[in-house]
Amino acid sequence: MGAEFDVYVRRNTWLYALDPRVKLALVAEAILFTFLWTSVWAALAVAAACLLLLWLAQVPAGRIAAFLRGIVPLLLMVLVLTALFAGGSGPVLVSIGPLRVTVDGVMQGLLLAARLLALGLAFFFWLSTTDQAAMVRGFVALRMPYTWGLTLALALRYLPILAGLFEQVREAQQARGLDLRQKRFFERLSAYRPVLIALLISALRNSERLGWALEARALGTHGIRRSVFRPLHLRRTDLWALAALGGLLVAGVALRVL
Amino acid sequence: MISPTPPAILIRDLHYAYPPPLHGGAPVSVLRGVNLAIGTGEFVAVLGRVGAGKSTLCMALNGLVPHATGGIFRGAVTVLGRNTKAHAIADLAQSAGLVFQDPEMQLTQMRVEDELAFGPENLGVPSGEIEERVTWALDAVGLAGYRDRSPLHLSGGEKQRVAIAAMLAMRPQVLALDEPTANLDPAGKAAIFNLLARLARERQITIVLATQELERVARYVQRVVVLHDGVIALDDTPATVFAQAPLLREWGIGAPQLAELASLLTKQTDRTYRFLRMGEAYAQLRGELKSMAEPGGFADHLAPSPVPQISMSGQSESNSRPQLAFEQVSFNYPDGTAALRDVSLAVAAGEFIALLGANGSGKTTFAKHLNGLLKPTRGCVRVNSRDTRLARVAELARMVGYVFQNPDHQIFAATVEEEIAFGLRLQGLSQAEMAERVNWALAAFALTLSHDLPPALLGWGQRRQVAMAAVLATRPQALVLDEPTGGLDARSRDALMAAVTTFNRSGGTVILITHNMRLVAEYASRAVVMAGGQVVFDAAPRALFERREILVRAKLAAPAVVRLSQRLAPFGLKAGILSCAEFAAAWQRLAEPQGGVDGC
Repeated sequence: MGAEFDVYVRRNTWLYALDPRVKLALVAEAILFTFLWTSVWAALAVAAACLLLLWLAQVPAGRIAAFLRGIVPLLLMVLVLTALFAGGSGPVLVSIGPLRVTVDGVMQGLLLAARLLALGLAFFFWLSTTDQAAMVRGFVALRMPYTWGLTLALALRYLPILAGLFEQVREAQQARGLDLRQKRFFERLSAYRPVLIALLISALRNSERLGWALEARALGTHGIRRSVFRPLHLRRTDLWALAALGGLLVAGVALRVL
Repeated sequence: MISPTPPAILIRDLHYAYPPPLHGGAPVSVLRGVNLAIGTGEFVAVLGRVGAGKSTLCMALNGLVPHATGGIFRGAVTVLGRNTKAHAIADLAQSAGLVFQDPEMQLTQMRVEDELAFGPENLGVPSGEIEERVTWALDAVGLAGYRDRSPLHLSGGEKQRVAIAAMLAMRPQVLALDEPTANLDPAGKAAIFNLLARLARERQITIVLATQELERVARYVQRVVVLHDGVIALDDTPATVFAQAPLLREWGIGAPQLAELASLLTKQTDRTYRFLRMGEAYAQLRGELKSMAEPGGFADHLAPSPVPQISMSGQSESNSRPQLAFEQVSFNYPDGTAALRDVSLAVAAGEFIALLGANGSGKTTFAKHLNGLLKPTRGCVRVNSRDTRLARVAELARMVGYVFQNPDHQIFAATVEEEIAFGLRLQGLSQAEMAERVNWALAAFALTLSHDLPPALLGWGQRRQVAMAAVLATRPQALVLDEPTGGLDARSRDALMAAVTTFNRSGGTVILITHNMRLVAEYASRAVVMAGGQVVFDAAPRALFERREILVRAKLAAPAVVRLSQRLAPFGLKAGILSCAEFAAAWQRLAEPQGGVDGC
């Protein structure tokens, strides 16, 4: 229940073993390349590269498919809305009342959707191959305060638990006769009130406990510098990966500028 | 009782009151002069009613009380020579670890080894040493192969062992645990008690365990401390403390079943019975049975009684149409897990069914089909002949009430009164009818004085009662209870079960999901055991206790009194005994063949 939020899958491939900072650099470069060119093809090429990396990392195909299934409706919505409302010049393909769908509008929609896909896949690659502790170590090594990193990690850790809690609360209220299948939006919103309040009370109770549990684990001990269980060291593979990323970056920028 | 070695824990005249829950209210006094000394390596259980201050005492050991909770704190708590009031919680973590009831809310990492490393990292332990500590702590809790696992995918018992290991990795000499087994199944509970006993024995760790698990306390613990009225009212070995079963019952705490039996037998005969463990009880009672059977003994007329004939087909053979019916029901979760496989079962109105099985056997999935929260993948579930696939949950909820394990999942209203009225309002009842039912429910659960308080601020036991009252006020025809007694003391449990019995006697059907076999023996008329998504047994509890292979398969154990009577049956004791009262009555009949039994 709710475990679908837990994106990370453990695999023993060199891509998993990469330093989290290197993976973060990879994501940054993917974002840069997506926006370096105003081209659907460039964005699609980045998306394809991310898919290739996911395949090389041996992330289960089912997980990738589930992610794509989830993002497709969003992409379609972006495409349709942009095509309908972006206007733009160029030949008119369809006219619906005051709305004109132009070739430019469609191209703009495609570009936005392709960029969204590329970004989505880049972050999906990062979340699937980097566990929470490595993520925090990466951020802290990049000089982010530890408490920020820990907060992010805890948020990721408790998302599935909160989702499970929501499900349990919803079932408990339904079992009391609460009908959540209202037709109208506002009726449904008000029907969910008992669920949301009970969820909030439970979440507050839990967060108090969590605060106690963290203190009981000596978080914030005075006068002690926190140590790191697995300190990050750039290894040979990391350096090679960084070099490759750097080369790619130089080549990409040169191609764009020249 | 003061230990000869210098105490690891020394509590002197501890008074503590929580800050008022509502603005302008009075502080809530919990501890009123606690004095306690606990030696290194002792395994001590703290018993007391719900709200007696057990958690408070545990939290005082690592400084959470008063540093995190505020409130009024007087007296002194010293752990390994450090006064907890003078040190910050984080600084005390190396001396005293604290494990909470809900493992979910104390595990913070995505991997077991990172979880264990978190504490030592906070203490600035060098990375090489953290590695050593992680290995040592995982080994100590018997989870050596679990380094790389995600805590999200562990069982409740395993999560709790990870939480204990995470504390051990900080190398505390004192470990306090606040009801760590309240939400676990019997296998999980046994694993934790075994582990704690071993940690105390082999690694000289001082263990302070707040718990309601009286049977296991009797078996594993060296010393029992009873909190009553804010002070330590009893402090001795389990045998001595539980010998005062009548007093413990009067205080609402209860006693292990064999201790209760001993006190009952002592009360109704002119002999003294004193036993706590199975071996002791068997030895003493078998000896007496043998002497009774000797020529001239006072029961020489008795021959071993035959095992009563028991129907193996349950009680569902009523000619009338069943109230609840499962017809070849299978259910698969979206991830493909087959949770029910071809289950067929009929329940007549007014039955009291205990639904049993190991965790993951399909009990909760089964129960959620009764009010339509889940709909069968194949087959059909009928409630009053209505196919649940065609009915909305809201409609089925009027017929089948469901009390969930955790009351906090349903509590949301601003007052207890409104919480109870919520379900009634959904049914569209008139104001007068609603008021009448709310008043009935408040009175039935002794909540009248708290009627205008926010239910979320009440104690655990009372929150459970509010949840139960809210469901019973809707007057369902059938009631599903999912582990309703976990973490409750004897008196709260008896009160809750009394309400359930009243509901059942007035014609309501009860389906009780539980691991507590004493409840099954004393209350249920039919036991349904599930394993691997199938019903593997369906008959009277008495018949279940004769079927060892079913009990083993479902990881269940018959109550102590049932097992004792089974062992004594060859010596002339009546077979098929289910409770202390039945045992005492049978014993009385043996001892005084012509005498009656006074009320038990």
